[in-house]
Amino acid sequence: MSFSHPWVLWLLPLALLPLVFQRAHSKSYSWLDMLPADPLSDLIGLILKILAVLILTFIIMGLSAPHSNQQLVERIGVGAQITLVLDRSASMDDPFSGTSDGIVGESKSAAASRLITQFVQSRKNDMLGMITFSNSAMYVLPLTENKEAAVAAVRATAGNALFQTNIGSGLTSAAGLFDKVPDSGSRAVVLLSDGAGRIDANTQQKIKDWYDRMHLSLYWIVLKQPGGLSIFNENYVPQEDQPLPPEIELHDFFKTFKTPFNAYEAENPKTLQLAIDDINRKEKKPIKYLEKIPGKDFSNLCFMIAAILIALLLGVKYLEVKTWKN
Amino acid sequence: MSIENIKEFSYHIGWRNRGRHPGRHASTQRGMGMEFIGHTSLISYPDPRRIDLRQTIRDPMEQVYVRLFNQKSATPVFVICDLSGSMNFGGQVNGKHERKIRKAADIAESIARSATRNSDPFGFVGFDEIVREDWISTASFKSQRAIELAERLKEYHPEPVSGSGIADVWRYLPRERSLVFLISDFHMPLKELESSLANLLRHHIVPVVLWDADEYKNLPEFGITAVTDPETGAKRTLFLRKEYRDKIIASFEARREAIYKLFMQFDMPPFYVEGDFDADALTEYFHQFVAA
Repeated sequence: MSFSHPWVLWLLPLALLPLVFQRAHSKSYSWLDMLPADPLSDLIGLILKILAVLILTFIIMGLSAPHSNQQLVERIGVGAQITLVLDRSASMDDPFSGTSDGIVGESKSAAASRLITQFVQSRKNDMLGMITFSNSAMYVLPLTENKEAAVAAVRATAGNALFQTNIGSGLTSAAGLFDKVPDSGSRAVVLLSDGAGRIDANTQQKIKDWYDRMHLSLYWIVLKQPGGLSIFNENYVPQEDQPLPPEIELHDFFKTFKTPFNAYEAENPKTLQLAIDDINRKEKKPIKYLEKIPGKDFSNLCFMIAAILIALLLGVKYLEVKTWKN
Repeated sequence: MSIENIKEFSYHIGWRNRGRHPGRHASTQRGMGMEFIGHTSLISYPDPRRIDLRQTIRDPMEQVYVRLFNQKSATPVFVICDLSGSMNFGGQVNGKHERKIRKAADIAESIARSATRNSDPFGFVGFDEIVREDWISTASFKSQRAIELAERLKEYHPEPVSGSGIADVWRYLPRERSLVFLISDFHMPLKELESSLANLLRHHIVPVVLWDADEYKNLPEFGITAVTDPETGAKRTLFLRKEYRDKIIASFEARREAIYKLFMQFDMPPFYVEGDFDADALTEYFHQFVAA
């Protein structure tokens, strides 16, 4: 129980005023000793005072807006804590070429958003967070059980894309989402990008440490240009004096993770669907998660009680003697 | 009640006073009265107008006798009036609001007028917590001062104090036995009343008990009300209902009984005034309780 305006509670001593001040319209009687003691009358007098005190107390309490705190209830379900890290670089707006499932010219981001929405809706007890990145990471949605928010966030990513690809920033921000959330035992980061970018050594070390410490498994879905370089190409030899292409370098880096890592390549929406289905299968462990139950507001209840008590007092007022004038 | 139509009553006393001042009451004072009490010699009572020739002739010792008479004397009449807080209580009498203190003033005026009519001196002593020196009118054959004081009393609102000053009232009364009307509602502890009455035994006391039907009989049938004691300021909430009303009435009846018993111990039959003051009832009272 806590109060939105606790300072109003300083007025609570005012509730004792009815005990201090006597009823003003009291009638003068010649000698009270002549009136025999009457427990019922005394009781009524006491009750009236208590009523007055209670009314003031409840009104002041109501003004201070009491509410119960939000409660966290532990639930067990099947699912995972998944953070989606979506690429919003300009290249994501390009369509898959050579589509075979009939949707011609569907952009990569639109396809990703469509399929991920299905994915999100098919998972019942997941906690989902979302980060998008281009030049730098954009915080979209913290880890939450709220499906609607997650779906809305995913849909929002289908819009126009931004500049380039900064995977390192996306991955660190994704790890940051898990920081304050208790470990449910099944945590995953789904990285969806086309192509890759280079990550400098410091960031690489940081990402590796964090993912290890937080037990984050990583799924990387690469949306590949048809005929583009495959990250699974072990035998690729770069030209003389040239570094490895970023895709392969990143893949090699991810393979050094101690936590599980899976990579998928998708060339069209169908293969993307397959990749996502695979993730869906793998991330199905019983998890414990905390459900937030919002606090209740009691101020209306206080006012209701005060109103009822006032009605009672008015009733007594109605019973009051009017014919006796002294 | 204007001064013109103050109702008078007639009263008499059952004892002889010793006042020198001629009046209407039997007295032990020798003087120009009609009440023959015996003979004495002219030497001892040198009043030649009263020589009793018949007695003088019959005396072989040839002394000259005079007749002795008792004169009729005036008896001081006092009103001792309670000015304590409870006297501010007043219910409806014939539709108008009448406080007890007002009724007491009416009665005091009536007594003052009747005393003057009987050529008796009239005095007034008011008391609340103490004897109120500002509400004292010394015994006088001219009642105007006392009536003027009673007129002022009608508009007086007693202060919220007790009536314990009754214990000292006796100091303000003459040594001579007087007729004293003690006007109060006697809403005071019986012990206090008893010790005060014991000090007043020198005088002929007529207790005038002022009660108001609104105090008990005319209580509302049903309802909740808060009451304040005008003397102590204590407050109580009352839930009036038939059962409790009956209890209150019974309590007043018991009180009436207790006061009556106490007064009768001192041989002072109380005179009850409830509602309007009826002067004739007071006349009746003297006929009933005071031997002529």
